[in-house]
Amino acid sequence: MASSSDLADILAVRGLVAGYGGRPVASGIGMTLKPGDILGLLGANGSGKSTLLKAITGQIRLEGGSVTIDGVDLAGAPERAKVGFGLAIDPPDLPAALTGRQYLQLVASIRGCVEDDWPGVDIAGRLGLRRWIERPIAEYSLGTRAKIAIAAALLGAPPLLIFDESLNGLDPLAAFEVKRIIRALALSGRHAAIISTHVVEAVPGLCTRAVLLADGRIARDWDARQLAEANRTPGAFEADVMRALEAQAAEA
Amino acid sequence: MRHDRLVLTLLWREVLAGLRSMRRRDLAWIALGGGALLTYAVADIVIALRGAAAALRQAQMLWTLGLPVALLCLGGLAGSALAGLCLSRAYAPFLTALPLSSGERRRMAVVAAFVLAIPLALVVAAAVGLGCAVIAKPLAPAWGFGAAILFGIGFALAAGWRLRRDYESTNSEAAALVVETGARRPLLHAFDRSTPAWLASWAWGLPAGYVRPSWRLIGASILLGLAASLAAAASFIHASAVPAAMAALTGGLAVFMLSARFHPLGSPVLRTAPLGFARAWLRLVRLPLQLSVAFFLLPAGAAMAAEPSAWAMPLASGFWLLALNGAYAVFAAYFMTAPFVAALSFLSAIAYTSYESLEYGRTVLIGFAALVLFLWHRAQQRYRHG
Repeated sequence: MASSSDLADILAVRGLVAGYGGRPVASGIGMTLKPGDILGLLGANGSGKSTLLKAITGQIRLEGGSVTIDGVDLAGAPERAKVGFGLAIDPPDLPAALTGRQYLQLVASIRGCVEDDWPGVDIAGRLGLRRWIERPIAEYSLGTRAKIAIAAALLGAPPLLIFDESLNGLDPLAAFEVKRIIRALALSGRHAAIISTHVVEAVPGLCTRAVLLADGRIARDWDARQLAEANRTPGAFEADVMRALEAQAAEA
Repeated sequence: MRHDRLVLTLLWREVLAGLRSMRRRDLAWIALGGGALLTYAVADIVIALRGAAAALRQAQMLWTLGLPVALLCLGGLAGSALAGLCLSRAYAPFLTALPLSSGERRRMAVVAAFVLAIPLALVVAAAVGLGCAVIAKPLAPAWGFGAAILFGIGFALAAGWRLRRDYESTNSEAAALVVETGARRPLLHAFDRSTPAWLASWAWGLPAGYVRPSWRLIGASILLGLAASLAAAASFIHASAVPAAMAALTGGLAVFMLSARFHPLGSPVLRTAPLGFARAWLRLVRLPLQLSVAFFLLPAGAAMAAEPSAWAMPLASGFWLLALNGAYAVFAAYFMTAPFVAALSFLSAIAYTSYESLEYGRTVLIGFAALVLFLWHRAQQRYRHG
């Protein structure tokens, strides 16, 4: 997956090693994302998906390697690098006391934009958030919390969009809308996205690339052509991923 | 009852998980550095007690009133804090699916709180008993035993009061934050809009930015207002700036300590945003500092009016207030999810610095400043790297 980085790369990860308490959970990870890429991040529980995303978003220290976001080194200039991505926050981590609108205003004030500065679409309207937006987040269901987190991640139109299992709790209509929005943003050529998910069957239809993590390493990857081929045969990609997972389990 | 030890088990697992998540180097620093500091502090206290042994043995007020009240208060604080901790675990959201009644949950919390009280009471008994032995107070073991009983009474009263309340209905996230948002604007609308907007409302847990009157808030306001008025009156009666200036300093610091909350610094919402630690910290300091200064102005103004020639005293109080507020804000940022621990640590550090400065002069302040800088560095590192 690793390739030489240039300024066109929205994300460049090289030799990433990250973990907790000095114990690496993800190691030797290399990948680049260019505008238009939608990367599906797959893996069993504990395979290192969330750790990788925490390292990319600067939530944990890199034990080794580097992360460059939109041309800015995360370790060297963390604040400037963080301008380059929008992360859909885990629902339990949202500020429960604030209303949806106040949360959007909080994120927008940090990003230096207005609370409805979404890239070309009215996210609140499309996701059915309007009737909840004046209520405290504490009253939201899991799915509504996921929606407000996604809406906040898209504020200010950052080049890299990161969703860590954010699509899992959405109702079918909202999930459909979010996928449409992500596809449209990628097609605009100004954004790339990483979608960590356990919904394997959704990946070929949505993503242009996919990687499978196992034991903190990239065990398998698929490019756009392979995903397009897999998408032609129902269940083919899922079967491929299951074979890879079983092979990993057998090796372990 | 087979569930009775569940809260204790949960707390023990949390301690183990916390230890496992730390680097060995950090653990070694804490164990060796903390151990060395504790040994020095104990040796220093023993020397100080021996030096003042005769006076201490004769201080009737200390033995009949001071020490018992202090032990009751200490027990009360410990009981309230531990009962709150145990209740929060007994009513943890992930346990809601278990077939446990509210009574069973409360019993689990009671068992855990009182089991945890035993080692605390033993520490209190040992400390007081050894202290009495050092100053050659007769019946030192009896004093230690009595101290443990007084501590236990304070603990039982506070923990019992807290454990009797209906935790479930008053502490669930939704119940605490449900608010009727109407056409009126939140009270903090004008004060909490600078970048990052609504940060103080989040830090204070104000549902949708609305301040809801509570007995705790009203009581604290009355108490602080009364203290400021009494100090101002004392200054005017004696034509002295001292009472009002001191009330301005201590009251201003108390207002800041009661209102400063820094838990958003641990949230991914801020940590993954293009927002530096210093900027987030300053924003969290802003409103508590405004409240603190607002309180300071009344007694400080009274001090100036009561003794205009002593204008330097309220001015110096103001500078000290800013310095102490800043230092506490660093402690609170370090212990961001535990304001009680932050306050306890800060007051202990201030008390110890004051005590040592009697012996070594004001150079000890350099040590306190170094501690504040160290905590700032660690809080910043944690904000950046978890």
